[in-house]
Amino acid sequence: MKRILLALLIFILPLTVLGIESRRDFIETYEEQPESAEEAAPPILEEMETGGTDDDDLSFLDEDDEVIEVYDPFETLNRRIFWFNDKAYFYVMKPVAKGWRWLAPEPLRIGIRNFFSNLRAPIRFVNAALQGKFRDAGNELTRFGVNSTLGIGGLYDPAKVHFGIERKIEDTGQTLAHYGVGPGPYLVLPFLGPSNARDGIGLLGDFYFSLVPVLFENRYYWLAVSGDVINFLSIDKDTYEGIKKDSLDPYLFLRDAYSQYRLNLILH
Amino acid sequence: MLKRLLLTLITGFTLAVTAISLAASSPTDEVRTSVDAVLAILDNEQLNYDDKRTQIRVIVKERFDFRAMSQRTLATNWKKTTDEEKDKFVELFSQLIENSYVGKIESYTNERVDYPGEKVSGRKAVVETLIITSSADIPVDYRVYQKGQQWLVYDVIIEGVSLISNYRSSYQEIMKKEGFDGLLAKMRAKIDELASTPS
Repeated sequence: MKRILLALLIFILPLTVLGIESRRDFIETYEEQPESAEEAAPPILEEMETGGTDDDDLSFLDEDDEVIEVYDPFETLNRRIFWFNDKAYFYVMKPVAKGWRWLAPEPLRIGIRNFFSNLRAPIRFVNAALQGKFRDAGNELTRFGVNSTLGIGGLYDPAKVHFGIERKIEDTGQTLAHYGVGPGPYLVLPFLGPSNARDGIGLLGDFYFSLVPVLFENRYYWLAVSGDVINFLSIDKDTYEGIKKDSLDPYLFLRDAYSQYRLNLILH
Repeated sequence: MLKRLLLTLITGFTLAVTAISLAASSPTDEVRTSVDAVLAILDNEQLNYDDKRTQIRVIVKERFDFRAMSQRTLATNWKKTTDEEKDKFVELFSQLIENSYVGKIESYTNERVDYPGEKVSGRKAVVETLIITSSADIPVDYRVYQKGQQWLVYDVIIEGVSLISNYRSSYQEIMKKEGFDGLLAKMRAKIDELASTPS
């Protein structure tokens, strides 16, 4: 177990360092965006007065656009793993998840999901704190306290339902990004799916702070993690099926969606 | 005489109020009208699957500016295409977007939609919505812009992921490898595939 993690670390670390440079440029261009949108407001009004709703004159819509160029030097390998994950999803994970969906009522499955989410609360707490988001860290601490007790070991989420304290996703990958670590090359991880060098390393940090390995040791850990994933898929409304159905190239679609999703988390 | 005057006054007043409310309707109001209409159709048990789709399509067409979406998806390539190519792309792209959006909305039947807020800046606005389901709350933001009296959707952002940005990068990648015609061919094939396998 530890050896695998170490091997992963050795493999991924150099990649991240490579990625820092490209990421820097990206952050800079991104951070300039909101300002330029503000500045551009007056011309827009002028345009309206002169009735400038020309077909080709919609450039003002693009100002707040973040164009993400994903660095993907391992596309060939990534696509292979993507293919493997796709098969694993349709032939193993999804059928099991469907069986579980049929067997267990939804409230129970949501309870199990909450339970695992609660065990991962320390990840969110630590990483919010590391990024100086002390209010969020405090919220996570409160949530953990309330949900572990009133929520019966985390099965329920009274912190949200009764006290209106929402969960906020924070993880080690986001903390690394906060301190300027770039995403590095895009990676598709076996079974886990879209990631990148930075977030892959982040998973190690998350593993360290999670209570799941504390509660479930050795082989029970993998059992618990698989159970969590299967249970999650039983609640999920066929997101991956939808993506596969809609997009011309699901690999590209997910690659970009993942990058946007992570960027959005990092910026908030 | 008095009656007629009164009637004229009332009619005039009503018209004025309608005009004002039309002009002043907020982005959220307009998005809400469309979203509510779509939800009502989805909840209508008297309609079969095809009828629902057809009716939803009409509403989506009124609210979504597919041409603006196409233009943003093609980005710099938009100017390089001929008018004919543009029309073709818009037609295919609207079918794909429609399908994708309706498919997503469909999987959330019987759910509540909240409108936590909106941000308006000049002719652009973001209407925030939150789809509340039994298992999760999904943030869906509509980017709209003002065209005449209307606010039209030019992008949908689900959990921080912009639909248009997403399409843009994959389409550009495909265009790089297979050219504009290759992209159109792929889009056509996708539409045929979707038509032949109704979910």
